[in-house]
Amino acid sequence: MYQIKIKKAAAGILAAALLLAAAGCGNDGASENTQPAEFQSSTQGNTAEVEKKEDTDEIVFASTKDIRDINPHLYSGEMAAQNMVFESLVVTDTDGEIQPCLAESWEISDDQLTYTFHLRQGVTFHDGEPFNAEAVKMNFDAIISNRERHAWMDMVNEIDETLVQDEYTFVLKMKHPYYPTLTELSVTRPFRMISPKCFIDGETKNGVSGYAGTGPWILSEHEKDQYALFARNEAYWGEAAKVSAVRWKVMPDTQTMLLALEKGEIDLIFGADGDQIDLNSFQKLQEEGKYATELSDPVASRAILLNCHQEITGDLKVREALQYAVDKESIVEGILNGSESAADTLMPENAPYCDVELEARTYDPEKAGELLEEAGWELSEKDGIRYKDGDPCEMTIYLNSDNAQEQAISEYLQADFQNVGVKLNIVGEEKQSYLDRQKSGDFDLMYSLSWGTPYDPQSYVSSWRIPAHGDYQAQVGLEKKEWLDETITALMIEGDEEKRAQSYAQILTYIHEQCVYIPLSYSRTKAVHVPSLKGVTFNASQYEIPFEKMYFEE
Amino acid sequence: MIRFIAKRLLLLIPMLFAVSFLTFVLVNLGGSDPAEVALRVNEITPTEEAVASMREQLGLDQPFLRQYGDWMLGCLHGDFGNSYVDNEPVAAAVARTLPNTLRLAGVSLAVILVFSVTAGVLCAKYEDSVGDRLVRAFIFLGTAMPAFWAGLLLMWLFAVKLALFPTSGMEGASSVVLPAVTLSLGYLSTYTRLIRGNMCRNSRESYVVYLRARGMRERTVMRHIFKNSIQTSLTALGMSIPKLIAGTVVVENIFAWPGIGRLCVTAIFNRDYPVIQAYVLLMAVLFVVCNTLVDAVCMVLDPRIRREQEAQG
Repeated sequence: MYQIKIKKAAAGILAAALLLAAAGCGNDGASENTQPAEFQSSTQGNTAEVEKKEDTDEIVFASTKDIRDINPHLYSGEMAAQNMVFESLVVTDTDGEIQPCLAESWEISDDQLTYTFHLRQGVTFHDGEPFNAEAVKMNFDAIISNRERHAWMDMVNEIDETLVQDEYTFVLKMKHPYYPTLTELSVTRPFRMISPKCFIDGETKNGVSGYAGTGPWILSEHEKDQYALFARNEAYWGEAAKVSAVRWKVMPDTQTMLLALEKGEIDLIFGADGDQIDLNSFQKLQEEGKYATELSDPVASRAILLNCHQEITGDLKVREALQYAVDKESIVEGILNGSESAADTLMPENAPYCDVELEARTYDPEKAGELLEEAGWELSEKDGIRYKDGDPCEMTIYLNSDNAQEQAISEYLQADFQNVGVKLNIVGEEKQSYLDRQKSGDFDLMYSLSWGTPYDPQSYVSSWRIPAHGDYQAQVGLEKKEWLDETITALMIEGDEEKRAQSYAQILTYIHEQCVYIPLSYSRTKAVHVPSLKGVTFNASQYEIPFEKMYFEE
Repeated sequence: MIRFIAKRLLLLIPMLFAVSFLTFVLVNLGGSDPAEVALRVNEITPTEEAVASMREQLGLDQPFLRQYGDWMLGCLHGDFGNSYVDNEPVAAAVARTLPNTLRLAGVSLAVILVFSVTAGVLCAKYEDSVGDRLVRAFIFLGTAMPAFWAGLLLMWLFAVKLALFPTSGMEGASSVVLPAVTLSLGYLSTYTRLIRGNMCRNSRESYVVYLRARGMRERTVMRHIFKNSIQTSLTALGMSIPKLIAGTVVVENIFAWPGIGRLCVTAIFNRDYPVIQAYVLLMAVLFVVCNTLVDAVCMVLDPRIRREQEAQG
């Protein structure tokens, strides 16, 4: 008797709980209806993968971040998403060459001050607005009127005038022969074209009313922090995308991402520097062989910044010693799993203007010891640390604690430094504190990642002059810092190719001789995808994803 | 009774003021300059002029008390300011994410109720049996596992291997199951043990002997035991509700659940002060209100507390 009652009670509670659950779920009925039917089926049951592939050819891409506001003239959105929707006048290909995009051709005047762009005809924005010189001018003017937001890019300050010559001819006049003009027009932001209809009061700096670009993808749905859906632009002026849609799913946890890949809920993970997938997982997936993995050519430079403005690292001898103390090959093999190549110089030789003859400093702990000795740091038998005037040779490296890779590299460095009698402390901080520290210059060592092609070397070198950057702070202690900054400023507007190359050689040599950076490796962009997804390639910029070239094949 | 509740509600007002002030002070004690961060999260180089103009725009050039006053006044009108990062009104961000978290916490609460009451009652009935021990051991293990690990294990087993649920996201009714179960794991053992312990203790009370001596049916006896046992659990459960809502951060991250926990964590990383302040204030209100509600419910259930209060009042 009693047992029956318990059962009844339990059943009652269960029913109540189910009701509660049902009530809780009730409000999503409406939002479910807005989702395509095939997606609902793909989230349920174990036939999901098969169904999805049959019903559609949609690429499901997982990202730790939401696309946010993809206004192409601002910086708060995800670059890969901005690049899907908005296009520029020209693009940089993977060989570093400038290629036509919305501009079919262009002429540069002999004094390198006037750029005449002949625009592609018959192109329309996603909202039906025609693309013409008038639209280009509006875009350029909106960007220029928000000058202070683009301080990282000299280009914006170098524009003198924008002119509409005729319907399909746009003229750009520069104040100086600013040499990276075409390259900077090609990067993901801000020089991308958005429909004049999306402007608010003739501006874009306070937001836009829509996201109509000319690109191969149209943003058709966006649920913040959940997903964004990009549909193929059927009226695209160029070769249309091969699949009908890209679903950008937000998964903040990378472990979840890997499980979702295993289950077949997602097709692609793509990303630079540990942002999306760490090297350990990447290697594991590579070894398992169940998925296809891709590695791009080396794109960016990974280095350690030595602060010349601090007491111990202010001594050139010490900085030089540390160059020899680091066993880069072990780091590349042990942490980066051989997926990156060790770097001898800050910039890879194949970057523009970077083929400069510089002496490589290879691992040589004995030499490091000698140099430290010369600098007056004597090894103590007691604790294996060097001392000078009773003070220990102790320094601190700061890193963003989110980055597991940097933590691991720091531990390697710690051991290498210990070998030569230098004590290295490691302090991981969360991102904003870390950035605060970059600005204040309160560090001995820090990580420095360049932005990669096509930003290197001009944008990276240019940023050395900005006090909010760690690079600037570390270089402040240099004797010729003023000269360095002036040379950088001058070379950007140097019209003569040869002189420019000379200036680059001078600054790269100076930085190398002064041992401001310990070059570690050249990083690569990584992609993991289901084997049926083909055509996964890389753009010149590590921040873009060429979805339009991808397709499914059984 | 009504007077008591009215008094408690009145007391809430100074309490919330104190909480809001503390929140404001604590958040402003943070190391980074909010104006600088607001620039940086939008990838604007924080030059001196840019920082100064941003400071003015955000009202950070005002004296501290003035800033607090403005903020408080806004809050009273339902205006919690705009996010420094994307300029979205904080109220809108909360309205977008809070229902999702409430849904997750609600289902979780249901899971906790069903499992802990069932398991608690059954364990008490078969006290010290093998089943009792097994259930307790199992639940203990579940509680001891950190949520991120338990969550991934559940995901691997039920989503990947058995393909019963989606791994993550908020798509369709079934997607809530795994995060809700993960979230409830930490509470299951507390309530199961609480109910079990109370029932075991109560069943040895003399009133149970009297009930049995009067020849009451076993179900009546059980009902009395259960009713007397449930009270402390109810108080604890009442306090668990805001904890459940505030404690969803880890689970929301793993299961890509677009709730308020994730909103808050992102805000903390970006030093998005208006969002952090609104979140803390909201959670404080939740705790205080739930606490008051639980007290009221206890008074209804237990005449002794009621009489005590009335004697004092």
